[in-house]
Amino acid sequence: MAAEMALVKPISKFATPKLTNPSKYLSGRRFSTVIRMSATSSPPPPATATSKSKKGTKKEIQESLLTPRFYTTDFEEMEQLFNTEINKNLNEEEFIALLQEFKTDYNQTHFVRNKEFKEAADKLQGPLRQIFVEFLERSCTAEFSGFLLYKELGRRLKKTNPVVAEIFSLMSRDEARHAGFLNKGLSDFNLALDLGFLTKARKYTFFKPKFIFYATYLSEKIGYWRYITIYRHLKQNPEYQCYPIFKYFENWCQDENRHGDFFSALMKAQPQFLNDWQAKLWSRFFCLSVYVTMYLNDCQRTDFYEGIGLNTKEFDMHVIIETNRTTARIFPAVLDVENPEFKRKLDRMVVINEKLMAVGQTDDPSFIKNIKRIPHIAALVSEILAAYLMPPVESGSVDFAEFEPNLVY
Amino acid sequence: MWSVTGALGVAVPTTAACRRKPFLVSSSLPKQTTKLHLSSPQLTLPSSHFSSSFKTSATTSVQQQSDNKGERTKYYFLVANAKFMLDEEEHFQEQLFERLRYYGEREKEQDFWLVIEPKFLDKFPKITQRLRRPAVALVSTNGPWITFMKLRLDRVLAESFEAKSLDEALASNPATLEFDQPEKWVAPYPKYESGWWETFLPKEIQESVV
Repeated sequence: MAAEMALVKPISKFATPKLTNPSKYLSGRRFSTVIRMSATSSPPPPATATSKSKKGTKKEIQESLLTPRFYTTDFEEMEQLFNTEINKNLNEEEFIALLQEFKTDYNQTHFVRNKEFKEAADKLQGPLRQIFVEFLERSCTAEFSGFLLYKELGRRLKKTNPVVAEIFSLMSRDEARHAGFLNKGLSDFNLALDLGFLTKARKYTFFKPKFIFYATYLSEKIGYWRYITIYRHLKQNPEYQCYPIFKYFENWCQDENRHGDFFSALMKAQPQFLNDWQAKLWSRFFCLSVYVTMYLNDCQRTDFYEGIGLNTKEFDMHVIIETNRTTARIFPAVLDVENPEFKRKLDRMVVINEKLMAVGQTDDPSFIKNIKRIPHIAALVSEILAAYLMPPVESGSVDFAEFEPNLVY
Repeated sequence: MWSVTGALGVAVPTTAACRRKPFLVSSSLPKQTTKLHLSSPQLTLPSSHFSSSFKTSATTSVQQQSDNKGERTKYYFLVANAKFMLDEEEHFQEQLFERLRYYGEREKEQDFWLVIEPKFLDKFPKITQRLRRPAVALVSTNGPWITFMKLRLDRVLAESFEAKSLDEALASNPATLEFDQPEKWVAPYPKYESGWWETFLPKEIQESVV
C-alpha cells in the first residue's frame, strides 16, 4: 500500500514506528536501548490533536492525522460478503482471472539488492539523509500495514471463499516483500524497523469492509501513480537518482496497481457499495481524504521531493489527477480535481496547516495551544467542506454503464 | 476541465501542436512460421486425444495444433480505439512489457499480441457499431488474462472467437496511426515514445512496417 494514505490508514495514537539499532540483535553488545526517532514523526496534528502526548514521555513520538496507519475490519462481515453460498452475484470469473495474475508472480526475482545501496546511503549526508530515513520508514510502515491486513483476510476467508482468500494471501506476499525491501534499505542507514513491535504496539483503525474497499483501492492506485511518477521522472533526470531503491519502482508499482484491480473487482462484486447516492457521497469523501492527506503530508516534506528534483505541488497534482482518472473507472462519483479551483483550495489548506503546526511548536501550555488552534481548525474544516461540495463528476465502470448509455469505445 | 468523455477516450479534438509522422501498417500477413507455446490450463481443447500430450508436456504449440490437426483455437480479445489503447493508457504499455519480460525469464513463448484494425472485427457488428476507428485489439489465447485486462482497462469491449491458424486470427487491415500531442502535458516526465507497440504486433507485421 502507499505510504501516504494516512488519513484513511490506521490511526494509531502512538507514534511512528520504533526504530532499533540492528547491531543490538547482531552483536548483543553495542546498544541496548531502543532508539525512538522522533525526528521521523509527522509534525503536530492539524485537527485531531489528542491529549495522549501528555501522558507519554518527551521521547514519545507525536502522532498525527497524517501518519501512516494500520487497519482492521469486521472480518465476520467480510466472510458473509464473500460467501459464495450467500452471495450468488460474485463474479467468480474475475476473481479466478485475478488469482492467475497474482500466481504469475511477475516480481518474484525483482527485489534483489546490490552494493550500490550501501554506497549511496553513505553518500547521503546532512538533512537529506534524515529525510530519506523518514521516507523509508513511512513507506515500510505502510507496506507492512497492508501485509497485516491482507494476511488476516487471507486467513479468515479461507473457508467461505478460497479464491478470494488466496488472492489476499498472495497480496500479503507482495506487501511483505516490499516492506522487507524497504527495511533492508533502512539497514543501509544502520537502522531497522522493529516490525514485531509495530504489530503489537500500534493501534489499529477499524473500518467497516465497505470503507476498507474504498480506502485500500485508493491507497493502492495512488501508490502506483506516486511510484511510477518518481520512476519515470528519475529515468529522465538520472542526476537526481541518489538512492537505488527508485530504480525498482517500475516493476514494484505494477504490484500496487494489481492490488487496486483486486479491490475494484471486490467492489464490483458488491454493487450495493457502488450504486446508490450514499456510495457517491462516500466515494467523494474517500477521494478527498486521500488527496488532502497526501497534499498536506508532502507539502511538509518538500525537501524530499526537491531532493529528487521534483516540484512537490506539481508532482502531487499530477498524481491526484491521474489517480482520480483511474478511480473514475470504478467509483460512482469522483471529485472535479482538474478544476483549478480544487488546487487553489488545497493550497489554502497548506497555508492553514502551516499555521496550525506553528501553534504546536510554541512553548504555550497545551490548553492555550488548543484555543489558538480553534480558528485554524475551523478554517481548515471549512476549506475541506467546500472542496467536498464542489460539483462532482459522475463516473463508474462501464460494466454498470448507466452513466453513459451510448458510450463509444 | 475534466470530463468523463475525456477519460473515456471519446473524441476529444485537440489542436495538434506537433504532428508525428504517420505510422503505417501493412495488411499482408505472410505465413506464420514461428511456433507458439502456451500453457495448457488456459487452452480449451475440443477433442480428448490432446489430453495425453498435455500430460507429458506443460506446453503445446498453437501452430502444430492448428496446422497439423486442423483444430480451431480459441482467441480472446478486447478492443477499443487506438488512441485509448496505445496513447492514453500508459500503464497498459508497462503491463505488456512486464508480461514480455516475465515470458522471457520463464522462457515461455508469447501468447498475446496487439492487432491494429483486426480483420476479425467484421464478425462482430455489435462491437464495431460502438467502436471508433482505427481500433486496436489485445488478443491472447489466455482467456483469464484477457478477463483480467478487461478489469484493468474497463473502457474496452471483450469477446472471443475461434480460428484455424494464427495468421487467420491476427490478420489486420491497413491503418494509419497518428496521435496528436496532448494539449497540455503536466507530468514531470515525457510520454512514452510513439511506436512502443511495434514489439507486440505479430512478427511479420513488424517487418513490413516502414
